[in-house]
Amino acid sequence: MGKVIEAKNLTKIYGKKSAAFTALDGINLDINEGESVAIVGKSGSGKSTLMHLLALLDTPTKGTIEIDGQNATKLSKRQLNKLRNSRFGFVFQQFFMNANDTVLENVILPLKIAGVSRFKRKKMALEALKIVDLESKAKNKSTDLSGGQKQRVCIARAIVNNPKIIFADEPTGNLDSATGDKITDLLFALNEKRGVTLIIVTHDEDLAKLCKRIVRISDGKIISDSAVRKDAQAKASERREKEAARVKRANEKEAK
Amino acid sequence: MKLLDIISSANSNLFRNKTRTFLTILAVFIGSFTIILNSAINSGVNDFIDRQVESAGGDGYLEIMTTEAVDTFSSMMNTSEVQEYKEKSSNGQNSSYITDEQIEKASKIPGVESIDLIYFATPEYVTKKGSDKKYAVTSLNLMPRGNVNLDVTAGRKPDSTSSEPEVALTEAYVKALGYNSDEEAIGETVTFAVPNTIACYTAVKREDCLKFVDAKVVAVQAPGVMATGGMRANLALNDAIYQLSTEGMPEETKRHAFQATAQVEPNKVDEIKEELKKIGLIAMTIDDEVGMIRTFFDAILVVFSIFGAIALIAASIGIINTLFMSVQERTREIGLMKAMGLSNAKIFLSFSCEAILLGFWGSVFGIAVSMAIGLIGNEVAHQTFLADFPTFDLVKFNPLNMLIITLIIMFIAFLAGTLPARRAAKKNPIDALRYE
Repeated sequence: MGKVIEAKNLTKIYGKKSAAFTALDGINLDINEGESVAIVGKSGSGKSTLMHLLALLDTPTKGTIEIDGQNATKLSKRQLNKLRNSRFGFVFQQFFMNANDTVLENVILPLKIAGVSRFKRKKMALEALKIVDLESKAKNKSTDLSGGQKQRVCIARAIVNNPKIIFADEPTGNLDSATGDKITDLLFALNEKRGVTLIIVTHDEDLAKLCKRIVRISDGKIISDSAVRKDAQAKASERREKEAARVKRANEKEAK
Repeated sequence: MKLLDIISSANSNLFRNKTRTFLTILAVFIGSFTIILNSAINSGVNDFIDRQVESAGGDGYLEIMTTEAVDTFSSMMNTSEVQEYKEKSSNGQNSSYITDEQIEKASKIPGVESIDLIYFATPEYVTKKGSDKKYAVTSLNLMPRGNVNLDVTAGRKPDSTSSEPEVALTEAYVKALGYNSDEEAIGETVTFAVPNTIACYTAVKREDCLKFVDAKVVAVQAPGVMATGGMRANLALNDAIYQLSTEGMPEETKRHAFQATAQVEPNKVDEIKEELKKIGLIAMTIDDEVGMIRTFFDAILVVFSIFGAIALIAASIGIINTLFMSVQERTREIGLMKAMGLSNAKIFLSFSCEAILLGFWGSVFGIAVSMAIGLIGNEVAHQTFLADFPTFDLVKFNPLNMLIITLIIMFIAFLAGTLPARRAAKKNPIDALRYE
């Protein structure tokens, strides 16, 4: 397995001189193809900044990022845009769907940006919707969907361009645990069956433990970077299942 | 993102907030409507004036008066100024008459093809030949030699090179003389009664001093508003009438004429005017004469166009405002699209497109409504105050003008859109995604 992301000495400083704030301080991080990595940290720890830098949404003050062995800090804006468009998929906590557009149009967006022809992109979007099991909702307005369905549409949108890497920023943050589980199941299925590299930014320990590797960030530095033991992974999913069952029961009670 | 996709998504984005978009388009519409209708009226009026000019005199046709005559006319118009008395020549001859010497000199100016003195023919009445129904003649004007057209509904213009007397009637005379149609009048003969000036001084009865001349009807004129109304005679008829009315007068007096017409080479008009000025003659083309009317109409239309332009400026501010709101509302969407790899240039283009589309729709509605109102207006005008001028469309839509106006409005909208579009393009994707 080759390295998909190789970050060397990543430093990000906001502001200048006396007001300068070091958000990231000399981060070295390699991510291999097909890995599932959780970036964990408290808010303000720099985990989001790290994700933004890795996803090439922001430029580091110092250091380099290589994507597939290509130095991304030396790429032109145009090449960066193309790289993000073709290799990355994004899933956000707040979904970011265009409320007035149909589900299909939302999923099509990355392909539209890529300039894929009308016929082809519709076909690709429907395939992506099939994966998240929302093919039947293609023509619905996205406002008509539940939170879980919305996030599934976002996953469809993230995978529609067949990306190598999916960046998920608190993907379950806005969902209850039962729906959240469906989303995580989907993400990990993509990781396992399709070999998509998964990078999840979260503060949810249970979600983090489902990943094969956890990178802990504090004050802009990596404080630990370790593989998750199988038993911890199993425990985490067990706990999650229990929680899900509890929520389900609670919901059923409420329904009665 | 392909251009077509940008345009179509810009259009669908516009109609997300229908009320706001509608109001902005309405603002553009008010400006475009004013300007388009204005330009259409301008086309209509100018087209009409052009046709009138054409009917009065074409290229290279000059009407000539002496400098003194022009001065006299202008002092007649200007009663607030008193001019010093200028002594007349010993025989009391008014220097307002064009002299033989002047005609001689004028005809030698290079480029002058023909020059004719105009004598005013003043017939008393006209009858259909053989009929005793008499109709007063208020105005019979010469159809001069040269490049002069006549707007006719039937027949052809009177031929001043012909030796046969010919006349062009107006529609009113066609009816009065009892012809059923314009076509029926063509080829008929009418008789003019001409009072002889000398004989009428002493005649007891008016009939005793009247003389008669026949003329062939060769045309019926389309109604016009220019000073060239009235029946038109060819040179032969005009001369015949003048001869009859001045018979018995001294030759010198007979030759008195205030006015002359000339046909000159069209591209030499300006130089010839200069040359004529040197020998004391003022020449005017028909264009000069209607220039005043044109200027007057143009001035009114300019004022209205300014109103339209002001409305458009206000509409531009509306476009800026609308798009700023739209950029604000769609901050996160912009962030998302940027994260997904949409370039700043395309974001700029997409918002500019919205602005241009606002301008476009405003113009399209402006064109549609002004056309509707214009057509109704034409209809109403033809039935009321323009009933006499069936060929005159008050409002005339020129597709090229409308296209140009639409493009200009779209360009103005684009300029207005650059501000919000720049703001959208400059947004940082991360900040935009964080925006609550």
